[in-house]
Amino acid sequence: MSVNATPSIVRRGLADRVLRRGPLEAAATTIIAAGVVMLMQPFSLTLYSWSLATTLFGTVMFTIVSKVRE
Amino acid sequence: MTSATTAHSVVEPSATTRRFAGSLVVLYAIITMIPLVWIMLTAFKSPDDAISYPPKVMFKPSLEGFCNLFTTRSRQTPEFIRSLGPPQGLCDSIARSRNMVVAGPSNYVPRFVNSLIIAFGSTVLAVALGTLSAYGFSRFRVPLKDDLLFFILSTRMMPPIAVAIPIYLMYRTIGLSDTRLGMILLYTSVNVSLAVWLLKGFIDEIPREYEEAAMIDGYTRFQAFVKVVLPQATTGIAATAIFCLIFAWNEYAFAVLLTSGNAQTAPPFIPIIIGEGGQDWPAVAAGTTLFLVPIVVFTVLLRKHLLRGITFGAVRK
Amino acid sequence: MNELSASSRITYRAVMVRPGVARRIRGLSDRTLAWLFITPTIVLLLAINIFPLLWTIYLSFTNYRANRANVPTIWLGADWYQSILTDPDIWAAMQVTAHFVIWTVVIETVLGFGLAYLIDKKFRGHGMWTTIILLPMMLSPAVVGNFWTFLYQPQIGLFNYVVAFFTGRAASSFQMLGDVTLSPWAIVIVDAWMWTPYVMLICLAGLRSIPDYIYEAAEVDRASKWRQFWSITLPMALPFIMLAVLFRGIENFKMFDMVNLLTGGGPGSTTEVASITLKRAAFESWRTGYSSAFAIILFVTVFGLANIYVKALNKVKSR
Repeated sequence: MSVNATPSIVRRGLADRVLRRGPLEAAATTIIAAGVVMLMQPFSLTLYSWSLATTLFGTVMFTIVSKVRE
Repeated sequence: MTSATTAHSVVEPSATTRRFAGSLVVLYAIITMIPLVWIMLTAFKSPDDAISYPPKVMFKPSLEGFCNLFTTRSRQTPEFIRSLGPPQGLCDSIARSRNMVVAGPSNYVPRFVNSLIIAFGSTVLAVALGTLSAYGFSRFRVPLKDDLLFFILSTRMMPPIAVAIPIYLMYRTIGLSDTRLGMILLYTSVNVSLAVWLLKGFIDEIPREYEEAAMIDGYTRFQAFVKVVLPQATTGIAATAIFCLIFAWNEYAFAVLLTSGNAQTAPPFIPIIIGEGGQDWPAVAAGTTLFLVPIVVFTVLLRKHLLRGITFGAVRK
Repeated sequence: MNELSASSRITYRAVMVRPGVARRIRGLSDRTLAWLFITPTIVLLLAINIFPLLWTIYLSFTNYRANRANVPTIWLGADWYQSILTDPDIWAAMQVTAHFVIWTVVIETVLGFGLAYLIDKKFRGHGMWTTIILLPMMLSPAVVGNFWTFLYQPQIGLFNYVVAFFTGRAASSFQMLGDVTLSPWAIVIVDAWMWTPYVMLICLAGLRSIPDYIYEAAEVDRASKWRQFWSITLPMALPFIMLAVLFRGIENFKMFDMVNLLTGGGPGSTTEVASITLKRAAFESWRTGYSSAFAIILFVTVFGLANIYVKALNKVKSR
């Protein structure tokens, strides 16, 4: 997929390049995963405290991003 | 057919590899079966054999576990037992040999019947609703289709305890707590998501041309659905029904939190079968065996569709 | 064969139905029918899942207690969330959950993939043995988990006997369920026994989805078997492995039934996974508001992971 898209991306602007579904979805996935890790890691209570907010943010972002054009 | 060509034989594993792989898998299968075989063996042991050390593989089979499963007994003095008439049936004579008399039937049969009623009731409902929705999602353009499908699936993912808290309050308010109807509705709602996803996969595979041909011949869409699609989807519906049945049959978390007597199913009941001085293991094993046999049969029937079932219809082999 | 019988049935029926009758009922448009078909399911889910969920969210902001329904309900705002998310005890429960999730998923993935790889060699009778291996996965975790407490008995249990037989230690010298260091592993063992077949089945589908010609091409290029495994087999089966890992991760994150029967969270709180903590707060201390907030935290986590899971599902579907 990314191989085919490369030539057209070159001509697009920065916003177009970043604000596409693939990378945004990957970012949201990473945030959700980070939230889950924060919830269960044994190292820092502060990270644990912020886990819910992180997961929630990631999930909301994922839901919105899945509506963005491909 | 293709295995005859020379190009293919390059990637075919050699006979030695196969034998090696086979023996490892068989070894794993045997180890994994030991706990199950042990349950069945224990079911036919006498209480003394069940708790002997070292564990006994060879023993004199006894039906005491099954007797204890189906009856409640009370301890009596030998004089009292002698004053009774001859023992009625096998269980009575086993009980008397331990200075006890059979006091009445246990709760196992009612719990088992509850399990049957709730499992079948929720399966029928879930499959009926699921078939309709699956057809709707498969054939029509539904606004927000993907979101609705995700919403349906996500309801199955919810942690059961998190759902049980409000359901407990809700059922208490509307008088459904500890009723079979309440459990049927709850299990239906959990199963319907699986039914929709699985059946959508099955119905997607039925070519649309069949219905279109039928509609050109004068059928309405609904008639085409009933008379063309449903017969074609029978296998899928049966597989889905078995999956729903197994889920409802096995379910424990909701059952233990939301039922206490009337509507209690077998899974929360079996662990609390207590004999004198702790758990009566042969009776527990007997109850477990009877409870597991139907699932084993269904699993063998279902083996071709297991993969679909556990991936919500996404992987079709 | 099916196609033939279906089409012949259609033409046969078409003769039977008078066109006038059919046309009169044709009033229902596809759109109406779509909603008629889908609405009952949605309504059921709204009533049994979404309405309770909204209620839980509301309760999580109050001091409501289910066993004292007459006490006036006070709005507390996000107090419960704050106290749960700063509570070291709950944090400890999450770490117990993490231990359980990580180890079960690692063991099940390694064993499951290994088994799938071996079964994919298609030795004689692999179908039958696969079905046998799959059995534990279909059984009731509660009922079977309960029986494992018998296998784990120090004096009489089969598990202790077998371990004693192979290690030479006395069978009564260790208690799988009563020991602080062993009990977290006791639940991992039972879960791995039960769910390795699940991972195996999905991995097997992944391995079978790899077309033979790729291996043939690799053979032509004289790539070693080792190289083929790392650059063809594993990458191509990876989406399937991810799917299995995600699902087992979600399921074990909310694991309740098996752990509840094996250890009930004990000894102490060494096996108190999140769901057990939640159950104790909700159905033993009856702190409904507090436990609702905890339930929502667990729910958000599962919901987030479910998003990723569905993405993984679609990825596999397109194969």
